[in-house]
Amino acid sequence: MKRSKWSYAFLLALILVLGACGNSGDAGGSVSGDGEEGGDGESVTIDLYQFKVEFKEQFESLVAQYEEENPNVTINVETVGGGNDYGATLKSKIASGNEPDIFNIGGPQDYEDHKDRIAPIEDSAAVDAALEGTLDAVTVDDQVYGIPYNLEGYGLIYNKGIFEEAGINPDELTTMEDLQTAVDTLDGMKEELGLDAVFAFPGKERWVYGNHSSSSFLAPEFNDSVIEAFESDTVEFEHSEELKNYIDMQVNYSEQPVLSLDYSQQVEALYSMEKVAMIQQGNWAYPSIEQIAPEVAENSGIIPIPVAGESKMPVGVPQYWVVNSGAEDNVQQAAVDFLDYMYTSDAGKEIVLNDFNFIPAYEDYDTSQISDPLSQEIYEYSEEGNTSGWVFLGYPTGFAEETFGDNVQQYISGDITWEEAIDNSKAYWEENR
Amino acid sequence: MKTKNIMYWVFIAPVLAALLIVVVVPFIWGIYYSLTEWSGDMAQTPVFTGFDNYKSLMSDPTFLSALWFTFKYAIVTVIIINVVGFSLALIVTSYIKSKNLLRTIFFMPNLIGGLILGFIWQFIFTNIFNALGDAMGVEMLQGWLATPATGFWGLVILHVWQMAGYIMIIYIAYLQSIPDELLEAADMDGASYFQKLKNVVMPLVAPAFTVSMFLTLSGAFKIYDQNLSLTGGGPGGTTKMIAMDIVDTAFAMNTMGLAQAKAVIFFIIVAILSLTQVYYNKKKEVEL
Repeated sequence: MKRSKWSYAFLLALILVLGACGNSGDAGGSVSGDGEEGGDGESVTIDLYQFKVEFKEQFESLVAQYEEENPNVTINVETVGGGNDYGATLKSKIASGNEPDIFNIGGPQDYEDHKDRIAPIEDSAAVDAALEGTLDAVTVDDQVYGIPYNLEGYGLIYNKGIFEEAGINPDELTTMEDLQTAVDTLDGMKEELGLDAVFAFPGKERWVYGNHSSSSFLAPEFNDSVIEAFESDTVEFEHSEELKNYIDMQVNYSEQPVLSLDYSQQVEALYSMEKVAMIQQGNWAYPSIEQIAPEVAENSGIIPIPVAGESKMPVGVPQYWVVNSGAEDNVQQAAVDFLDYMYTSDAGKEIVLNDFNFIPAYEDYDTSQISDPLSQEIYEYSEEGNTSGWVFLGYPTGFAEETFGDNVQQYISGDITWEEAIDNSKAYWEENR
Repeated sequence: MKTKNIMYWVFIAPVLAALLIVVVVPFIWGIYYSLTEWSGDMAQTPVFTGFDNYKSLMSDPTFLSALWFTFKYAIVTVIIINVVGFSLALIVTSYIKSKNLLRTIFFMPNLIGGLILGFIWQFIFTNIFNALGDAMGVEMLQGWLATPATGFWGLVILHVWQMAGYIMIIYIAYLQSIPDELLEAADMDGASYFQKLKNVVMPLVAPAFTVSMFLTLSGAFKIYDQNLSLTGGGPGGTTKMIAMDIVDTAFAMNTMGLAQAKAVIFFIIVAILSLTQVYYNKKKEVEL
């Protein structure tokens, strides 16, 4: 009797435990093994995790078109960006065991962080067509690991109408002194021009100055090379004083308060509504401006940030598409096929140029179709070779925003001196290299 | 005297198994990680480094700053939430019209998720306050969330608004369980409203204080989503709380081992504070 009771209890517990465990089997993987009618191959699902919010809708349209032409392929798109920290959210996504099949990396530091899950890219039409120099940041030992998004440039986006009315010729703003003079002129005419301020400095967006502003002033000491930046154990901030003047200028002549100003306010509420004359952003901001005020967008131009008496446009590849080496082989192949379609098929090229408003990082594009004025100007700088490199993608992890960005914020709020901000940033770089 | 027989354990086993798998094992695993140097990448092997992470924490200005900020924040929000919650509970259990409607209205903020709340209040603080400040010429309403002080009070206001209704419900439950005879007896003896409140209501509602203070204290320490969406830890990392510092350390800085050590210390601190608070509050409770 006693033994019978114990056996019964044990059996009941066992059933409960096994029953609970059995349910987890239903989750399955991202690949559905079942074949599909009408498909020319095995059915595959690709999870894609990307960082660019500005072209999210256009990109999802491309995906829908691709899925229509390739019924056996399903692509799940997830977009995180626009001021959110893509890198950190990607890592938390990966740490949760939910690795995407296609994701983005910026350059050598991101590659270093994720190299255990990045597949080498072989037999890709997009890689074959990539422009000279665009693959350097994702090439290790002569093997390519990423496919470029596009070319982007950043600088000071300005309102041509306002500049014209103020009598300022943007082509002459090739030094920090010239820029200061123009800013003083605009500031003195704020009421006539209907401006709240000359600039909108988005103090809340640490990436704007932590990545882009700092990169312009650090590029010379790394010879415009992201690889040199990545391999350097130290950073000197040789142009620290000029960088300080540049930030001070923007802060002092900006819509206030700057530290709570975000991307949406800067680009949409202030620049697009013609309340400020200039903002520091890149051609990626064009779709946002166009949505708010098409005529302002059409009448926008972009000039480089003057550094050390030179006026070069920083042109670079903002992110690369990489394929997860942990995905199944057919998923990896399908991922490369999709990316090749996006950049090298006739249908894809059309969308890249006209819907994405991208400056292509690839050959065989009819670049006369680059339609938005910001991209046109950046492309012209690129054609003339009047460009500098994006070195921020070679910064140590956590340098751009969590360190330099935070220090600049503290400097702006008056808590620390500029020298302290620079010293803190230098120390962080050295500790992490 | 009931003897727990085998069937008791059989029925409780699934719950214990779930608790073990979801809480106990990750906790122990986390303690292990806190003794390692690890980026958080599953493809890499953690390197055992003993108590190095804990040593470096003692001089980590970011962590100590987040700790101090969170501590100040917890004190302020615990006090304000309980005062507001108790006051609201007294209001909606009195004999005023529309008290049932008011209960619903006061509780509703608690239904909104933390991230959305943060963005809603961010809009209120940076746009509406600014517009009002401009129109009325009140400088104090301008520049919210652009300074550490306004970031702090912004977070306080958000959390009080969110939690007061929930805490109100707890106080209502206890207020309604006070026997009417005691209050009537006090009335007969000529006690004023505040005398009744001080000598009859509050002693009998003491268990509610225990529960509410525990919830608000541990809740305040663990805030992350409101912190992220309202201030993002800015400006300059000055409004970053412990939970956000742990997440940033783990996922932005790639130092999961250090983040885990922060989490262990965080757990110890919250456990000590919560248990201490419950212990002292328990002593004040009155048994009928």
